[in-house]
Amino acid sequence: MIEVKGLKLHYGDFVALNQLTFSVNPGSIYGLIGPNGAGKTSAIKAIATLLEPTFGDILVEGISALHQPERVRGVLGYMPDFPPIYENLKVWEFCDLFAQAYGLSGEEKQAKVLQSLHATGLKEQMHDLCKTLSRGMRQRALLAKTLVHDPSVLLLDEPAANLDPKSRIDLRNILKKLAGEGKTILISSHILSEIEDTCDSLGFMRDGSMALSGTLDEISRQKDRAVHLKIHLLEPYPALREVISKIPSLSQFEETATCKTKFRVSLDGGEKEATQALAKLVETGIPVSEFICQKPRVEELFLELESASKERGES
Amino acid sequence: MNPLIRRGIRERLRPKNLVASGLFSIIACATLYLASFFDGMQQVIPANESESGLPELISMPVNGAREAFTVLLVLQGFFLMFLGTGRVASVTAEEKEAGLLDYQRMTPMNPFSKILGYLFGLPAREYFMFLLTLPFLLHCMVVGKIPLLNLLQLYAVFFCSVILYHLTAHVIGLVVPKPRAASWVARLAVLGLYVFLPVLGQAGISFLSFLTILPTYFGKIVPHLLAEGTNILGPFERQVVAFWQEIPFFTYQVSPTTFTFVMQGLILLALFATAYRKWRLDSLPAFSKPMGIGLFGILQILLLGSLWPFFSQGEASGLLGQSLQLDPTKVGLPDQLKNDSLPSISMIVVQSTFFLLNLASLLLLINVCCPDPHRQLKGRQRSGRLGMNRVPVLADEAPGGLFVGALVCISTVVYAVLHLLAVSSETVQSVAPSAQSVLLPGLVLLFTALALRAAREQWFNLGFWGFVGLLWLTPMLACLVLAVADFLGNSQLMLNIASLSPLTFFPQLMVFLAPNIFPEPNPLINLSTSIKIGVITSALLATFLSITLFRTLKK
Repeated sequence: MIEVKGLKLHYGDFVALNQLTFSVNPGSIYGLIGPNGAGKTSAIKAIATLLEPTFGDILVEGISALHQPERVRGVLGYMPDFPPIYENLKVWEFCDLFAQAYGLSGEEKQAKVLQSLHATGLKEQMHDLCKTLSRGMRQRALLAKTLVHDPSVLLLDEPAANLDPKSRIDLRNILKKLAGEGKTILISSHILSEIEDTCDSLGFMRDGSMALSGTLDEISRQKDRAVHLKIHLLEPYPALREVISKIPSLSQFEETATCKTKFRVSLDGGEKEATQALAKLVETGIPVSEFICQKPRVEELFLELESASKERGES
Repeated sequence: MNPLIRRGIRERLRPKNLVASGLFSIIACATLYLASFFDGMQQVIPANESESGLPELISMPVNGAREAFTVLLVLQGFFLMFLGTGRVASVTAEEKEAGLLDYQRMTPMNPFSKILGYLFGLPAREYFMFLLTLPFLLHCMVVGKIPLLNLLQLYAVFFCSVILYHLTAHVIGLVVPKPRAASWVARLAVLGLYVFLPVLGQAGISFLSFLTILPTYFGKIVPHLLAEGTNILGPFERQVVAFWQEIPFFTYQVSPTTFTFVMQGLILLALFATAYRKWRLDSLPAFSKPMGIGLFGILQILLLGSLWPFFSQGEASGLLGQSLQLDPTKVGLPDQLKNDSLPSISMIVVQSTFFLLNLASLLLLINVCCPDPHRQLKGRQRSGRLGMNRVPVLADEAPGGLFVGALVCISTVVYAVLHLLAVSSETVQSVAPSAQSVLLPGLVLLFTALALRAAREQWFNLGFWGFVGLLWLTPMLACLVLAVADFLGNSQLMLNIASLSPLTFFPQLMVFLAPNIFPEPNPLINLSTSIKIGVITSALLATFLSITLFRTLKK
């Protein structure tokens, strides 16, 4: 578990992080999103105990990163952006180095090294020199090194940058598997679709502070953003508008095609309200063939947030 | 085994590296060693000494081995001290920039283990190359009949120096931001600290000589490297060997090996502490304030101990010390140089060196330990958040007023002790027994330190070093131009300008305070005027900068 409370970080007069507060629960993947200079890397480095915050508190698995950084480092796995690698070591030697540095020895060390290489799909390349690896493979080697001591908290700064689509899918699967094992994962990324597919919760950062935080649904609600329902019928149903007007959670009825079978309505509420609305439609005898709850996309929310903050800045 | 040492071996000693570096080491060593061995082995017996009545060429392997020893030592030094030092500095800096150091920083290994891992892991190949020179050393020892005990002493000091140089390089790699610069900065720092600084040892401050292996080499080895049958050292060697036999320290005599270990041990301790802090958190300054005061205190004790015999009995150490001894009859100086002002001149040289060393130490410590505006802001905000009225006095973020005051106090007290020692001595007549002789230098040192502290705490690096360059170096350059234009005509103006820079003010002040060396009135120059200008300027500067700092802090 990661808890960041009122974190402030200065680089001289420049405020890199300003009252940053958020938490990541065990077993979940939290994505930090924000424009360049928003403070994502600074936040991750501060949690990784590599930057000393001006004030605030960071708790990792209940241990204060400010007061007991050495203890916190033991439970952390950290992968920076532009991750470097020891070029002249073989892949297994690279993992072995860190396994030993984290206090593993003997058979346990060997087992953990093999396990992390297996988890990242690098078993076949384990005897290759790191400098001969492709960019995606290097990223995997770093992830293997990050996982070798079995940390309960993972901090990954831009882990999918420079990866090809196949490697990204593999990485996503690995992260989901790790989250399924109960690990707490914090990711920062510019690739919004990646974040959307991988993360359970999101944090939108802007100028060093957290503009919005929560699951996508929670953020939509915070933004007062309506969820849209896409309703397709088998055949036209003239009284549909009337039926919908009687359901309190639905509004803004509109036809999306001329064939009189495709419609879009706004839903005020979450999944419970959507289920109730569908039941009512079916109960009325409306031939519903498709009923899709259209959640807002991370990209839309991000752009909305960006333009809102730009407007605030201009005013 | 330390994982970082294992990593160094894996990275740099794979079979192909072993073969290449091994061949290089053996070929280079064999060429140099055997060439000097065979060269030294040939000895010509003059006609009058030979049985045949003709000049004879005889072979004396013992002399060859003795001559080859120094060549071998230089080559070993090249491998470990030159190549190894550059390697440690450049890789440390590269890994710092790339972020690899952060990986290591995050592992739960003790910072000391990490430092040791870098010290012995990075130059693994250089240690291997050194290892291959050992058979030659064995040959040298056996054939050259060099005493094992003396060799052990030399190589103990040699390894201590190697670790010292590598640690210096590692710390520089941790501190210098640009990796390309780090390798050369480290080599230059090693040259400066351990080659040029020891030269000051010849100006009476003997402890500085013991930063290298030279004292042990000259003191313990050179007497055993004489050609068989000859027991006569050259005049230079004789002086050097005599200088490095026993070291006067306070009222004791210490052996060069012990003294070298103590000196290098103290520096190693300081460097280890710095590296430890940097490994814990990169943003921490190299020294904490208590550590800065401790280091300065140790330096002052060493200065006091080294200068004790000079101020109490007038016995100078070092080559310069010997030529400027207070008792000129003790050394073979030309008659025309033996006059009454020699004792005063030697006193001025030693006193000026004392203050210049203090200035350099103050500059370094104020630069490192006094917080720049960023760090101060961080300290104030954090203490405000924690509900504290002020930042704790010894914290890294605390203003450095008290710290600077403590340093100047220590330095002035040490100088006062030396002064009292000279005043109470029957042999030393070159010190004026007035309170002014202690108070005036102490006061100017305080003003200089306060100005430096104020500059450090209100400006960033560019402003601070610009200020230091402008105030400390520009007056000297201006004097140079004036001297070239008209030395005699501009002499008073040059003195006045030189008094603005602390570097040239203290020697002037020492001349001014010395009795019977510069009787006034002098037709060409008036020293009291330039001294007044120097004191008033330093006081005004310290006051002005302290006020502007106070205003900045208030904002």
